[in-house]
Amino acid sequence: MSEQPPDPAAREHRDEVLAEDAPPEPVAPVDSSPVPAPAAPRPAPAPAAVPEPATVPVPEAVPELDWRRLDARMLLVHPLETLIRSLPAVLAIFLARAGSDSSERWELIAVPLILAYGALRWVTTRYCIQGGQIELRRGLLHKQTTTARLDKVRTVDLTAKVYHRVLGLAKVEISTGSSAKERLVLDSLRVDQGRRLRAELLHRVDPTITGLPAPTGAPVDATALGDTAFGDTASGVVQGGDVELLRLDPSWVRYAPLTLTGLVTAAAIVGFASQVLRTVGDESQTIKSGARWVGALAWWTDVLLLMAGVSVLAVIAYVLTFWGFRLTRNQRGSLHTRRGLLTNRETSIDHTRVRGIRFDVPLGLRLAGGRRLKVVTTGLSHERGGSDWLCPPAPAAVVTALATTIVPDEDAVRGPLQQHGTAARRRRLTRTVVPVLVLLAAVMAATLVWSWPWTIVMPLPVLVVAAVALARDRYAGLGHRVTPEHLVAGEGSLDRRRVVLNRSGIIGWKVEQSFFQRRAGVANLVATTAAGQQHYDLLDVPLERAYAVMAEISPDLLAEFGGSACASDTPLPPPVPDAQ
Amino acid sequence: MDLPDQQALREPSQRVSARAVRMWTVEALFGVAWLWVGLVVWWFFDADSRAAQWVVGAVLLVFSVGYVTIMPRWRFRVHRWEATSSAIYTQTGWIKQERRIAPLSRVQTVDLERGPVDQLFKLASVTVTTASAHGPLKVHGLDLRVAQELVEGLTEAAVAEKGDAT
Repeated sequence: MSEQPPDPAAREHRDEVLAEDAPPEPVAPVDSSPVPAPAAPRPAPAPAAVPEPATVPVPEAVPELDWRRLDARMLLVHPLETLIRSLPAVLAIFLARAGSDSSERWELIAVPLILAYGALRWVTTRYCIQGGQIELRRGLLHKQTTTARLDKVRTVDLTAKVYHRVLGLAKVEISTGSSAKERLVLDSLRVDQGRRLRAELLHRVDPTITGLPAPTGAPVDATALGDTAFGDTASGVVQGGDVELLRLDPSWVRYAPLTLTGLVTAAAIVGFASQVLRTVGDESQTIKSGARWVGALAWWTDVLLLMAGVSVLAVIAYVLTFWGFRLTRNQRGSLHTRRGLLTNRETSIDHTRVRGIRFDVPLGLRLAGGRRLKVVTTGLSHERGGSDWLCPPAPAAVVTALATTIVPDEDAVRGPLQQHGTAARRRRLTRTVVPVLVLLAAVMAATLVWSWPWTIVMPLPVLVVAAVALARDRYAGLGHRVTPEHLVAGEGSLDRRRVVLNRSGIIGWKVEQSFFQRRAGVANLVATTAAGQQHYDLLDVPLERAYAVMAEISPDLLAEFGGSACASDTPLPPPVPDAQ
Repeated sequence: MDLPDQQALREPSQRVSARAVRMWTVEALFGVAWLWVGLVVWWFFDADSRAAQWVVGAVLLVFSVGYVTIMPRWRFRVHRWEATSSAIYTQTGWIKQERRIAPLSRVQTVDLERGPVDQLFKLASVTVTTASAHGPLKVHGLDLRVAQELVEGLTEAAVAEKGDAT
């Protein structure tokens, strides 16, 4: 059906073949894209690709497996989605047609094609859980099979857009790899069916790793989840024993204008509007008069208007994203968030995959005493914007308390950070002040040479002051701390963050030194990890301090490669000759 | 909070093959050649700015000679590696230098690569990746036999490990 993979980028990070206890069958998606069709705008399929549904191979082909389909109501949703996605094209056709007097309406052919396409997608998509694997098959001409081992399941997302919610459906996204692209998407199941599948997947994972019995006793087998799943029996599995850690307080909306979300939304809207205007073109009269009206106002009124507009957008974005935000933890520690006003989103994070947490304290939030919290986990990568929220922008006290519940390490969450010293401070200053000075010099020279007005130079000294302030604030945010359980790294000013990384999540070290860093005796100590950003850095640490941190966290490595004196108390194995 | 004061990490014990200097020289020549091609093209298409072209050519000559002679030797002095039964440790770079350590328990794949220049000098580079998308460890300019033995040793160690190394 889809001749080319819907999302070519999905192949990029696929090659992370795990050299571990070899699974009996391929672990990750083999040669198929895990993302089903709704990935990119696509034209209606060619008529040739629409056979009678009866000719489609039906589940009887593999009678011993219990193949399940997506919910039949997707027959309504898929065409709708396709229509929405092809709306720009439809609009373009409509507008092009508006000028001509041709009475042919051949674009109407698209509607039955789209309907048939949706039906075909529903008919050809099947999934089954069998033998410790979940398998997803789809496609008619271009068949794709995606399999994933159940004990590889790291997170399960349920997303319900407005039309999903009207129909009681939810899209289930199962993430299996450290790269976000490795995932299975079931679009869509009934909400309760999706939740039951989620419980099934996550519970299946836990007993094998933690050695704890699943709360439902024996693992549910595939048939129990199958066609009888239209009851409500399993909802107790999801709800039972959950502890609510956080619920959104509507007054936190006041933090929304202090983040960049408003600006980003505004930029997106302006971009979209300008594009639409360029297509439509003829509304310019209203625009012109509007622009004239804005231009006639005093400049501070304009600024106020702009700020008000951005703030309103930020508040709207906050409400849309975080309405009803709820963070719960089930009895075995898996985290579960639910949020969204129109689009409902539920994310479940297997606790064995959590490697730490991250506080985001951008400047605006910091001045207002707020912050936000994200989780650092494998299976959710930063490209997948937004599923890693543990707390939306909220008062610092709330966030810190929440963080201590999730990471019971008071020192790591609250403790002061060790600063990186004079060299680091000097480097912060050079980095912000030198570019400003260069700019200042360039503008001065230009003013002298081309006799630009001196008013251009006037604001530049203010920039120098701002640069110094920025450098000082960046230095103030820079620091680290080592606790018995965690490595804490802080950095940044405008986007200050503090990462609390579990020591056991660190899977390698890197010490990098540029030429100037070597002269200053400092280094960047990089802890690599399979979670979150994949690496967390301590910038401009004095070199001996960097090695001390490494020695503290990975004493055996330092013992092996360290210099003469080794502070590690643990007895070391005798040095072993090289691998050769 | 107070960490024991540590002696610095020592350098990895093994140097890369001495032929690596020649390999890097050849690679540097290829890199520099592109700049010269650019200059020649400019020379042919713009006959009016000979003076500027002479200046750029002179600068390029100094840069090329410096780069081709200094970079490979500097690299050779920096590049080192060491593999033990529990970890792999590399040091790479020249102007910007870095040391990487990964415990073998976290190793996921071990690759041996031979580009055309590698093959010319019977060299190979070994890449060791971990579950982190950031920062695979690379050792360039290894003697082919040494590289093959290293890959075998690392692969055995990696296969022996259980768990998903994250």
